[in-house]
Amino acid sequence: MSDLAIFGFGEGGWGLALLEGAAMTLLVSACGLMIGAAIGGLVAWARLSGKRLAGAVGQAYAALFRGLPELLIVYFVYFGTSTLLTETALFFGHEGFVGVPAFAAGALAVGVISGAYQAEVFRAAYLAISRGELEAAISVGMNRALMARRIILPQVMRFALPGLGNLWQVALKDSSLISVTGLAELMRVSQVGAGSTHRPFAFYLGGAVLYLVMTVLTMRVFDIAEERATRGVRRAAV
Amino acid sequence: MSAETPALTVAGMRKRFGALEVLKGISLTANDGDVISILGSSGSGKSTFLRCINLLETPDEGVVTVAGETIKMRSRRGGRSEPADRRQVDRIRSELGMVFQSFNLWSHLTVLENLIEAPVHVQKRPRAECVDEARALLAKVGIADKWSAYPAHLSGGQQQRAAIARALAMRPKVMLFDEPTSALDPELVGEVLRVMRALAEEGRTMLVVTHEMGFARDVSTRVMFLDQGLVEAEGSPDELFGGSTSERFRQFISKERG
Amino acid sequence: MDIDFITKTFIRLLGALPLTLSVWFLSVVLGALVAAGVTWMRVSGVRPLELFARAYVMVFRGTPLLIQLFIVYYGLASLPAVRASVFWPFLRDAFNCAVLSLALCTAGYQAEIFRGALLAVPPGQVEAARACGMSGLLMFRRVIFPIALRHALPPYSTEMISMIKATALVSLVTLWDVMSVALKIRNDTLITYLPLILAGAIYFVVNYVIGVAFLALERRLSPHLRPRPS
Repeated sequence: MSDLAIFGFGEGGWGLALLEGAAMTLLVSACGLMIGAAIGGLVAWARLSGKRLAGAVGQAYAALFRGLPELLIVYFVYFGTSTLLTETALFFGHEGFVGVPAFAAGALAVGVISGAYQAEVFRAAYLAISRGELEAAISVGMNRALMARRIILPQVMRFALPGLGNLWQVALKDSSLISVTGLAELMRVSQVGAGSTHRPFAFYLGGAVLYLVMTVLTMRVFDIAEERATRGVRRAAV
Repeated sequence: MSAETPALTVAGMRKRFGALEVLKGISLTANDGDVISILGSSGSGKSTFLRCINLLETPDEGVVTVAGETIKMRSRRGGRSEPADRRQVDRIRSELGMVFQSFNLWSHLTVLENLIEAPVHVQKRPRAECVDEARALLAKVGIADKWSAYPAHLSGGQQQRAAIARALAMRPKVMLFDEPTSALDPELVGEVLRVMRALAEEGRTMLVVTHEMGFARDVSTRVMFLDQGLVEAEGSPDELFGGSTSERFRQFISKERG
Repeated sequence: MDIDFITKTFIRLLGALPLTLSVWFLSVVLGALVAAGVTWMRVSGVRPLELFARAYVMVFRGTPLLIQLFIVYYGLASLPAVRASVFWPFLRDAFNCAVLSLALCTAGYQAEIFRGALLAVPPGQVEAARACGMSGLLMFRRVIFPIALRHALPPYSTEMISMIKATALVSLVTLWDVMSVALKIRNDTLITYLPLILAGAIYFVVNYVIGVAFLALERRLSPHLRPRPS
């Protein structure tokens, strides 16, 4: 088949499979990012709490997962959770290896890594909120919960957007490492296609193009979100 | 420089930024020992004029001559011009000492290193000689003990005095001051003006763009008032401040007085 | 789990560290050279060069390193044109492919760091240099580069650490780095946690040392950023 035809959607064409792989990549990255947001929020809260133990644990978490190779973490999460599940099943009498679904392990791995960086983004975003605005909120009688919901959270999200945009790009790229678990995301599909058709150059290049398209499109989404979130904010002339 | 050759002449300087003509033909002659204050409201082109002299901005027209040497220019497409000889420009710049409104000391070097940087690397003078001269200059401007400090650790007035010393370290033929006190807190302005006055009394040739009327009136030998890109009034301080014929200048003075 | 096994595993992993470090070092240095070129193109003022530089950065930062690595290692090797070319003796070796691919990738990130550092040089200080008669190479050497360097160090340290982590990917192109050895031990002994934990510890320590070294370098080069001496 011609080079271009293998990317087609007809019989023997890999176009559909690649697009499905891309969709899987987007899905697992998004899930990973959300898990990361939850973890990052928790770690940021721990570090900002002022309590020494919580702060130390938070810092240790961030330091640990920023100092380890992402591939190692993917393997660790995948094998580790599988082993955990197998032993739990054993405890309940089920023999044999129980594998964690690759999607779950992959999203968790991406999330665990992303969380370490998101914590810093959230922390910086919180610290960027003007103390004066918080004082104003207190002096009109807002309680802590109300202030958190109406003043702090919206502003944290606004300041965190650029950093999160960056981390989304990182999550997209980290998701390619999940291919080692066999999950049919874009990297894996490219790999399978390359092996099956003996055309590694075409498939890996095609995969790269798809990643690039995803990156550019989703960054545009983030840019638009940033513009909308920062309307009304006076910014220094760039 | 002989007594006949002026230290600096500028003839017919024009400069436009896009559609806006900022300098519409300005000429000036500065002899040795002249202290010329250049006054004008914002947008009158005075800073642009100064920056065109040492080619930080490139004038569209105009001939600049420093101590008898004319800066060679050539024309480019679009009616613009550019210096014809980069080496000549660098050399002439090293003969003109410029003091900026925002000091612009090099942040990664100590005060002393700031002073010897250009003498050693541009003028290629022996390091020991430059260091000795630098220390003497620092003493002259009153910050001898700050030689090993970094600019970030000095007050604004100290930084500007260091910047003046840095310009002096080049042994310039003419000194150019671009609003040297405009960025300073009021209480620090005096220490810088005192140094500039001392330089004037030494007989240095100075061009000073400033808003300090006191300096213009008491220290300078000539005053030039720019308005909308042209020389609106020019003469000795007595002539201008004692009741100038120029209506615009009188308006300008009364506004500056507040 | 006996101490003997732990020690043996640890030593085996350490044995692979030189490969990891050499891949890291070579790709970082090569990447820096490429990045310098890309940055030069970016600030050259020549539009086609600028566009190429921007495209380079976008491509190498917008795609996963793993796919870049596979393009070089598997992809290029499959092209008849490449096999017949003068580059083939170089490209048939996995180590070379790995270094090349990692270098091209880090060059994209390093180019952005260099660009940011150049932008951070206060224009007033550049003007002061020009006003003294400095220009061209002299001004770059004495004013622009020193100031930009100090702005580049913190993000550069992060990138150095990222590159150590990136070397783990070479385990997927048949090189025996720390990651590969850890996986082999796991496959042979079916002990999951220990080899990975020990490998992780090694990577962590290496990254820690790099971080500390850069911090010390930053401190040495920035006496002007420290608080005023009393």
